[in-house]
Amino acid sequence: MQQAIPYKSLPLPCIDATSHRARSTTTLGHNGRGKDVLNIVSENAVIVLARKGCCMSHVVRRLLLTLGVNPAVHEIDEENEAGILNELGTICKGTENNKMVQLPAVFIGGRLFGGLDKVMATHISGDLISVLKDAGALWL
Amino acid sequence: MLQPNLKEEEGIEAIETWNVGEQQELEGDEESKLSIALDINSTCAKVAFFIISKSMNSPTPQFVPSRLGIYEPIHQIGIWGENFKSNGNPNTSTSVIVEVDNKLENESETTSHEMLTASKNYEQEASKPIDKIQRRLAQNREAARKSRLRKKAYVQQLENSRLKLIQLEQELQRARQQGLYMGGVLEGSHIGFSGTVNSEDSVGIAAFEMEYGRWVDVQHRQICELRTALNAHISDIELRILVESGIGHYFELFRMKSTVAKADVFYVISGVWKTSAERFFSWIGGFRPSELLKVLVPQLDPLTEQQILEVCNLKQSCQQAEDALSQGMEKLQETVSSTVAGGPVDEVSYIPQVATAMEKLEALVSFVNQADHLRQETLQQMSRILTTCQAARGLLALGEYFHRLRALSTLWATRPPEPSLP
Repeated sequence: MQQAIPYKSLPLPCIDATSHRARSTTTLGHNGRGKDVLNIVSENAVIVLARKGCCMSHVVRRLLLTLGVNPAVHEIDEENEAGILNELGTICKGTENNKMVQLPAVFIGGRLFGGLDKVMATHISGDLISVLKDAGALWL
Repeated sequence: MLQPNLKEEEGIEAIETWNVGEQQELEGDEESKLSIALDINSTCAKVAFFIISKSMNSPTPQFVPSRLGIYEPIHQIGIWGENFKSNGNPNTSTSVIVEVDNKLENESETTSHEMLTASKNYEQEASKPIDKIQRRLAQNREAARKSRLRKKAYVQQLENSRLKLIQLEQELQRARQQGLYMGGVLEGSHIGFSGTVNSEDSVGIAAFEMEYGRWVDVQHRQICELRTALNAHISDIELRILVESGIGHYFELFRMKSTVAKADVFYVISGVWKTSAERFFSWIGGFRPSELLKVLVPQLDPLTEQQILEVCNLKQSCQQAEDALSQGMEKLQETVSSTVAGGPVDEVSYIPQVATAMEKLEALVSFVNQADHLRQETLQQMSRILTTCQAARGLLALGEYFHRLRALSTLWATRPPEPSLP
């Protein structure tokens, strides 16, 4: 399920200035720990954490792509999933979400934004673009 | 006192049930009294009617059928006496047809009845206007005839449903024996269909079908209320209440769908619970939000510049979200397809592939939920953009649109067959 999307092949309406940060999908190996995930999260303006082969992460990615953002996608193996979610849960408790982190999870500007629900709702209300701009994921 | 005497004397062996539908014509000369003996041995409720003619001296009816088919003549005399004592007007003849229990059953109901007329309490009032009596008798006949027809139609319906049920059960048996996992759809099934062997699922589906039937009724009522309210130009505050409940009603549907999706997601996605015309437009188990906007917007004129812009943005956002979800669905199809097709075909053990495919299909539930979530968000955003009055008009337009689609489905189903070529 790993795909590298070449920057040039994307029919983007606006220039994606952060494309140099965008990586192809990466997978945490067996040494995956929560800290590694956090590093990756903070390094990217927009990143999607998802299970392997998850179709919902595909939906998130396609939606962000139509807005002109090429998000990094980080796939989590099943065995590491519980541990990583726990770590994320404790770390993200300070922010709005008190519930367990659900996958796929979208991080914008290094902070947990929410799941597909949140992304859809924000997109429909028209606020998603400004959120992405604030995080530096979109320029223009 | 006719009947008690008779009863007490004869010990009520004769048991007849009398359905008003089978009422025979009364003779016109006299106000005849008809009474029905109850089937006291029967434990089922029977239909019992009796006519009480009034006169000053007329006795009270002697028995009232209770639901258990047991009657207590002594008890009832007093009650009926109070109800039916005429108040000193010898010229009025009141015929009272009392329908005590009209629960129709498949048990045979004898059509004959014993007419017990007593000569004792013959009406002295032959002076009563004959034509009044005639008219009342004619009305009675009419009512009896109508009742007979209704009963016929109802029994016919029951028979049809029974046959259909037997048919479906047989099909289900056959299909179960054929497949490991059945995901087919029986067209026009309204009895509750479940593709799995899990009986809990069929309970969930049957419950949903009932609830959805009620939902449609409430929807219809709300649309009529909105229409009346808009024509009457009620205050904004009152209109707001109607709008809120209208939107809330759609949210209720999404909740119902979410519950039944856990029981059987294929049921929701297939759209069998909707009418055929609605199904034609179905997208992931419901209406397409962008379609919805296309239906609504023309009804909302005039819109301000700002509103036009916002609606335009909303249309675009909807379209983008729909595309993303559709592509996700395609991805899921590819995944499931490749999983099921994987592995050597010359071996008989396909179980591992099927098991993996089952896991992947769980994602369908998420898709249905996300699609409904999108519909919900779209409705909410529209209600933010529009004024109360516009929102009311929009809800009316939307409800009316679906109502027409349902009507279209019915018309289509009952259209006359095409003439065959000579």
